[in-house]
Amino acid sequence: MKNRLRVLRAERGWSQADLADRLEVSRQSVNAIETGRFDPSLPLAFKLARLFATAIEQIFTDEA
Amino acid sequence: MNIVLCHRQFSPLQRRSMQLFGANLGLTAALSLATRDLFKEAHLPALLGYFVAALPTVPVIGIVAVVGRYLAREADEFIRAIVVQSLLWGLGITFVADIYLGGLFAYPSILRLIPILNIDLFCVSVGVAVRIQLRRAQ
Repeated sequence: MKNRLRVLRAERGWSQADLADRLEVSRQSVNAIETGRFDPSLPLAFKLARLFATAIEQIFTDEA
Repeated sequence: MNIVLCHRQFSPLQRRSMQLFGANLGLTAALSLATRDLFKEAHLPALLGYFVAALPTVPVIGIVAVVGRYLAREADEFIRAIVVQSLLWGLGITFVADIYLGGLFAYPSILRLIPILNIDLFCVSVGVAVRIQLRRAQ
């Protein structure tokens, strides 16, 4: 699954560690999601959407 | 799990889980050695022998409980996924080594091999697997 997490984070000037703190996950988690190696669960995806004040589908797009 | 998560900052849950894991691991080793010595030195009645042989398995159940508790309470789903994958790697490596060593024991010409505690091999392989996966996620 592709995502715009890196772009959204950069727009706010946040580091991966900043985003990880806000999400209450490890920095490795943020990196794994950004690079597409790990797809977050729905609760975490909703948390991301709330944090960036946008819809989930604006962050994640299905590659199919 | 010590080598495992090797972050500089451990969460209280990770720290507690590692302490409990280590304590159970130490107890497994101590009971394994004590049981072996007891069997060497004392001729136990069959029923008591079965009971004594089962003693070192008790902390192993403790280890399973500690890992289960950790997985149930770990809030970071990525770390949880890494731990689960590493546990599978650990199981796989332990099974393979066990079967391989079991096969070697069948050859009488091969000298006695160093006995390997499965639980040690399992823990080391899980630790290495977690380290590798965390490094990939850097």
